[in-house]
Amino acid sequence: MNAIAVRPAMSFARIGFLNMLAYRARYYVGVLTYLFNVAVYYFIWRAVFRHSPTVVGMTLPQMITYVAVGWTIRSFYFNEIDRDIAGQVQEGRLAMNLIRPVNFQTVMVFDAAGQSAFRAALFTLPIGIVIALLFPVQPPASIAALLMFLVSAVVSFFLVAALNFLVGLIAIRTKSILGILRAKYLVLEVLSGLIIPTTLFPQPFRSILFASPFPHINYTPAALYLGKVTGAEAGRLLFLQAAWTVLLLGLGQIVWRRSQHRITIQGG
Amino acid sequence: MTEPIVRVSGLTKVFRSYRREEGLAAALKSLVRRVQTEIAAVSDVTFVIEPGEMVGYIGANGAGKSTTIKMLTGILTPTSGEIVCNGFVPDRDRTRYVATIGVVFGQRTQLWWDIAVVESFKLLKEIYGVSDEDYRRRMALFDTVLGINAYLHQPVRKLSLGERMRCDLAASLIHRPPLLFLDEPTIGLDIVAKANVREFLQEINRKEGTTVLLTTHDLSDIETLCRRVIVIDHGRLLFDGPLASLRDRILPVTSVVFDVKRAPEAVELRFNGLQAREIASHRYAVDIDRRAISAASAVKEIVNRFEVTDLMIEEPQIEEVVKRIYREGIA
Repeated sequence: MNAIAVRPAMSFARIGFLNMLAYRARYYVGVLTYLFNVAVYYFIWRAVFRHSPTVVGMTLPQMITYVAVGWTIRSFYFNEIDRDIAGQVQEGRLAMNLIRPVNFQTVMVFDAAGQSAFRAALFTLPIGIVIALLFPVQPPASIAALLMFLVSAVVSFFLVAALNFLVGLIAIRTKSILGILRAKYLVLEVLSGLIIPTTLFPQPFRSILFASPFPHINYTPAALYLGKVTGAEAGRLLFLQAAWTVLLLGLGQIVWRRSQHRITIQGG
Repeated sequence: MTEPIVRVSGLTKVFRSYRREEGLAAALKSLVRRVQTEIAAVSDVTFVIEPGEMVGYIGANGAGKSTTIKMLTGILTPTSGEIVCNGFVPDRDRTRYVATIGVVFGQRTQLWWDIAVVESFKLLKEIYGVSDEDYRRRMALFDTVLGINAYLHQPVRKLSLGERMRCDLAASLIHRPPLLFLDEPTIGLDIVAKANVREFLQEINRKEGTTVLLTTHDLSDIETLCRRVIVIDHGRLLFDGPLASLRDRILPVTSVVFDVKRAPEAVELRFNGLQAREIASHRYAVDIDRRAISAASAVKEIVNRFEVTDLMIEEPQIEEVVKRIYREGIA
């Protein structure tokens, strides 16, 4: 496996960051979308809690916090590596990434990392503050919870990036993955624990889900923030999250290597 | 004898695609069984390029030029055949190999669209591990010959095609590659920009010994830059050799154009196996095959038969040569 050269990788992150600065309208629309989503789930959960004081061991303020934290970190870990690769395949721009002596996955992941770094500072932070002001959001359970949450949120980014890279590679074979992308968004929002806490799913579905990488995208960092998991259990979840990320990044390398001979550059 | 910098043998690329039949029934059938078609974009192409050469790679649209370039640059994997460039097998050692080459696709840019050109250069500097000192010297050279400093701080999307091409050329050479591939480097450029690009390529070739393989539709690119041409058509190699001998082989034809006082009768236009054709009022042309008759004896013949007021001899233009190849192939 190619060692990731740090300086080029950081340069791609820098480019990703600069690219985010290029479009301002998208930024403002994005902020509103997140506020709207949190508001919708806030009212839904308020209605649900009218009939019982707790749901899966969570109180209403905890559930509101879960939703708010979830959407806030989504604004950070979100990336469009898959859509980007599909576009490159369709427009033949993929060739431009192949003529550079840098691993393609490194390029894609770090470009997205630059965008996420941009989001963290100028998007996630303001969204988090506004949400905290508008809705009754609780602070993190403890300093340890806060630290674990921050680490986990960063790992979430790499986990989503690894998944999206794999989804994007499908485009090399099928050329168009628009349908797959739409399905992916729906499925991922449910399975990651963004829309409802993963613990709410009935057995045996819940166990199956926890054996997959998906809950680690959103449930794991949010649960760490709330202090729903602590100590050894927290360590186990963090380890699983990191292990899945490494595994999927490795799988991405393998699939990429196998896809390369199938590349047909259209046009030109 | 030095080792060739590019060695291609038996290179073949077959694209498989599925034929789409018309109609609903066929569409439904294709869900179960698809009809596969194979198209050989490049077949059995063999050539070598020595260090320091500038070679023109020409052919009609769809002849397989770009496909060849894409295989040579490691983007596409050959179906069969072998390529060794700079000592690498491009598709197998791609990441290491592409550090040693420069590539420009005239129809695309390798620069980042929305950000200032200089940011793209900084990124490329890091990717190729160019030292600060070399980078400064390189940028100074690019500015002297290409004048790129004027638009370094603009995003690529705001550049004209000519400006963008200059930046792309500079970008492809930032790491001083010994081997440069250019796919249509002058496409869409105005005359000034074209001349500028050609000058730059000549300078790089002369000063740094950069080997260049370029495809183009503009034959004046070839005439000014390349002593050697490779012609392919329908994926097959038609010709490989000096430009002059291509001209002799395809069009050993010289035209004698002459003006006359009195328009001759139609029957008078055919004489001694030659045929004059009217190209303007009182102006005629005779195409002669110099393998059969010398230009001198043809001129004598014409002067004897007609009341000639003026006469000129025209050598074939390379455009004509290539048009003829595209139309008729090489006999």
